[in-house]
Amino acid sequence: MDRNQLAKWLKAPAKMGHKYSLHVVYFCTGCGIIEVPPVITARWDAERFGVIPVATPRQANLFLITGYVSVKTLKAIIRTYEQMPEPKFTVGFGSCPINGGMYWDSYNTIKHLDKYIPVDGWIAGCMPRPEAIFVAVTHLWTLIDKGMADGYKRYRENYKYYRANQEQLYGTLEWPPLFPIEDKNE
Amino acid sequence: MGVVEYILSPLLALIIGIFFLGLSRKIMARIHWRYGPPLTQPIIDIIKLFSQKSGSHGSLFNLGIILSLAGSIVVVLFMPFGQMCPLKNSGGLLVILYMMLLGPLGIALSGGEGANPNISIGISRKLILALGYEVPLLLILLAVMTHYETISIVEVVKKQQHAGWSFISLPLLLPGIAYFLILPAILGLRPFEVVQAPQEIASGPMVEYGGKFLAFATIQHAFSLFIGIALFVNLFLGGASNPVTFFIKMLVVFILGLFINAAFPRFRIEQAVKYLWRWPTLLAFVGLIVVLIIRR
Repeated sequence: MDRNQLAKWLKAPAKMGHKYSLHVVYFCTGCGIIEVPPVITARWDAERFGVIPVATPRQANLFLITGYVSVKTLKAIIRTYEQMPEPKFTVGFGSCPINGGMYWDSYNTIKHLDKYIPVDGWIAGCMPRPEAIFVAVTHLWTLIDKGMADGYKRYRENYKYYRANQEQLYGTLEWPPLFPIEDKNE
Repeated sequence: MGVVEYILSPLLALIIGIFFLGLSRKIMARIHWRYGPPLTQPIIDIIKLFSQKSGSHGSLFNLGIILSLAGSIVVVLFMPFGQMCPLKNSGGLLVILYMMLLGPLGIALSGGEGANPNISIGISRKLILALGYEVPLLLILLAVMTHYETISIVEVVKKQQHAGWSFISLPLLLPGIAYFLILPAILGLRPFEVVQAPQEIASGPMVEYGGKFLAFATIQHAFSLFIGIALFVNLFLGGASNPVTFFIKMLVVFILGLFINAAFPRFRIEQAVKYLWRWPTLLAFVGLIVVLIIRR
């Protein structure tokens, strides 16, 4: 942890700020949310790394999706993700958002979360232990350091792809596109 | 020295307020038997928030938060900090009383533009709570002003340095206790944390603030922490002749407030107003009568 190295702060204050002040929206979709209370309270104490839960997506910059994503909650996930200020990072928690997990043949859950919103990292397992969240946070630090946690940039660049996937699932969406969709055929 | 004070005074207030924010998180963590974030965590947060993109909801949304911040800075200029008080010859307690309302009012104006139902609930709670603590605060200030026969806060501090702290003198003991009872409401600490209440109304007026807006709101919160505690120290703990003593007095008061914050759950808003209009108001009223009787 290089939180106390002043030279790095002077060199790139924004990057260091994004690393060590992760305000999290824990999206309570499935069973994974049960691993989060020990993480943020006295047992594992995520606050010593600057990771604290916030109540609203406007204040957050890390989006943790815990557990399976049903088709209905995906709509809320997309809207929450689009409300967060940039730069924003997404982490999928558990095997269900990765490939469907034990719900792989369910008619009512989606299989691959990263087809609908960009995901910066995955925590595999069913269930992952609470320590896995800390491993994920330290990996996220490395990614931010190297500039590889660029999900929000990918979302802007490939918005047409994500929007098409979202519309394929729902037919029409109730909200206008976040970014202008340019038509490459013309 | 004159011009320097205008810059130095808000700067010191900002540093102390942000230090208090960090200290509160650390102390709360230690009470929970956690290790807690570093003391510099609020600074890290503010740096991050300023480097984020943020969406605005209109011109009043931007102006309200600036009004709130500016109001807080102006109150700091009227507040003696040790011997340092840039606007010592003008204003006084009455101006401080009026300007203290600009903080909540600016947030309310700004939040109204946000048009989120949680903001409306938060703002109505904030103004009701302000109504709750303004009544005892008015009585307390009236008692202090009557006892020292002045409306200047600098004079109050000066007279206390000759005659001893007013908190331990008989006539102003009851108003002092009353001020300490409403202090958590002024600072927004836990028994009166009805305005933000992240678990109920998703942090209330702050719901739509992200990025720079939240950074300014945090800075305003730091200033309001400074103002609430500095007013108590100046009125009842005798102010101080130098900034270091003043800071130590503020620290003691703030840590006591934090212990109350850690020990109590949250009031509902009508319970808060019922409490504020009963015990602190009663104590302040009796204190005012005692002051009047002693003056005869």
